[in-house]
Amino acid sequence: MYRQEVNHVPKIKYFVQQSWLLIVCSFFFGLLLAIANAAWSPRIEQNRINKLNDLAGRLIPKAKDFVPLDKLGVTIEVKSLKGPKKKVDVYKAVTGDACFGWTFNAVGSGFQDKIELVVAVDKDFKTIAGFDVLASNETPGFGDKIKGDEFRNQFKGKPAAQLELIKSGEAKDNKILVISGATISSEAVIEIINHSISQVKRQMQEKGLLGNDKE
Amino acid sequence: MTKNSETTAGIYKETLLAGLWRENPVFRLLLGMCPTLAVTAAVKPALTMGLSVIFVLLCSNIVVSLMRNLLKPHLRILMFTLTISTFVTIADLFLKAFVPRMSETLGPYVPLIIVNCIIICRAEACASKNSLAVSIIDALGMGVGFTLTLCVLAGIRELLSTGMIFEAKVMPDWFVPWAAMRMPVGAFITLGLLLGLVNVLSRKKA
Repeated sequence: MYRQEVNHVPKIKYFVQQSWLLIVCSFFFGLLLAIANAAWSPRIEQNRINKLNDLAGRLIPKAKDFVPLDKLGVTIEVKSLKGPKKKVDVYKAVTGDACFGWTFNAVGSGFQDKIELVVAVDKDFKTIAGFDVLASNETPGFGDKIKGDEFRNQFKGKPAAQLELIKSGEAKDNKILVISGATISSEAVIEIINHSISQVKRQMQEKGLLGNDKE
Repeated sequence: MTKNSETTAGIYKETLLAGLWRENPVFRLLLGMCPTLAVTAAVKPALTMGLSVIFVLLCSNIVVSLMRNLLKPHLRILMFTLTISTFVTIADLFLKAFVPRMSETLGPYVPLIIVNCIIICRAEACASKNSLAVSIIDALGMGVGFTLTLCVLAGIRELLSTGMIFEAKVMPDWFVPWAAMRMPVGAFITLGLLLGLVNVLSRKKA
């Protein structure tokens, strides 16, 4: 049944005979991957940071630098809409010593797939400075209009309290006009923003980075 | 086989042409349907995908051809997959480092080249049985054939869904963009019609 018994070759020798090429190649390819990774991973990391800074910079144009809260020694964790607590990357938008606001990532489920946003608020968490879509997979022509300026511009300057979706009329106060044909995607964005702002705000107040509302 | 194919140059030519038309991976062998349907919403991602496949195909064919005499028959698929996944990971890292936007658009489809049957098919059917030169030419023929097919498909879809090609507007103002062409349904319909067309054309030839 076993070839090594028929040929009277010891097991270990048989194993090496059969697999030496695989072992040699694994080492060689592993080395190749390690070299490629070592050469390009700083660039990949830089690309990620550039992208975030780019997005955040457009949302809060006054700020020159975006300092991650990790660097200030604070970690913000919020409960996501579904599931356990997750760390949120919060950035402080500063120029020199002046703080112009905060940006952070927020995730929630959309129509087909999860939607990842970058949300920007002013320095007191009172008004929304804007948001942008990091990743989404909404229906082309309908739900993907959440990336469009027409929808996104509505959020600028809105109170960071509870936003509300309306189907028609004028988008005043805390009202956001729905994208026609994409109610679920519009609702999802508003839900993500409302939820994440209130959660992050509470956390930041608890950690003493933000004054209480009453002050 | 024609008389032409008995000389070395003839074999090279035959191999190259096989990938481009007679055995075109998408139209004739129906291999690699996943990227064909998934990344052809616009020409740029389709072209990037095609170039990545050419790179991986070329490297894997070279390596497999070089070690073809050392391969143990029952371990060969394992060796092919190991080789392919190495080069796909390198291609993926390269795209992430130098064209991050495009890498995001392609999403999981670049790592998925690992299980693209065109590459494993060429390793099995060609590179593990032929000399280095034939394997390289086969990889180029198949790769370019795949890329051209993807670009044709993507060109039609991008034109109808946005009125643009290579993100440059070509359609007149009265043209109404056809959003369905950007969705999976557009990919299936376009591919089906193209396959039908190719079948009609090749039947006439034969």
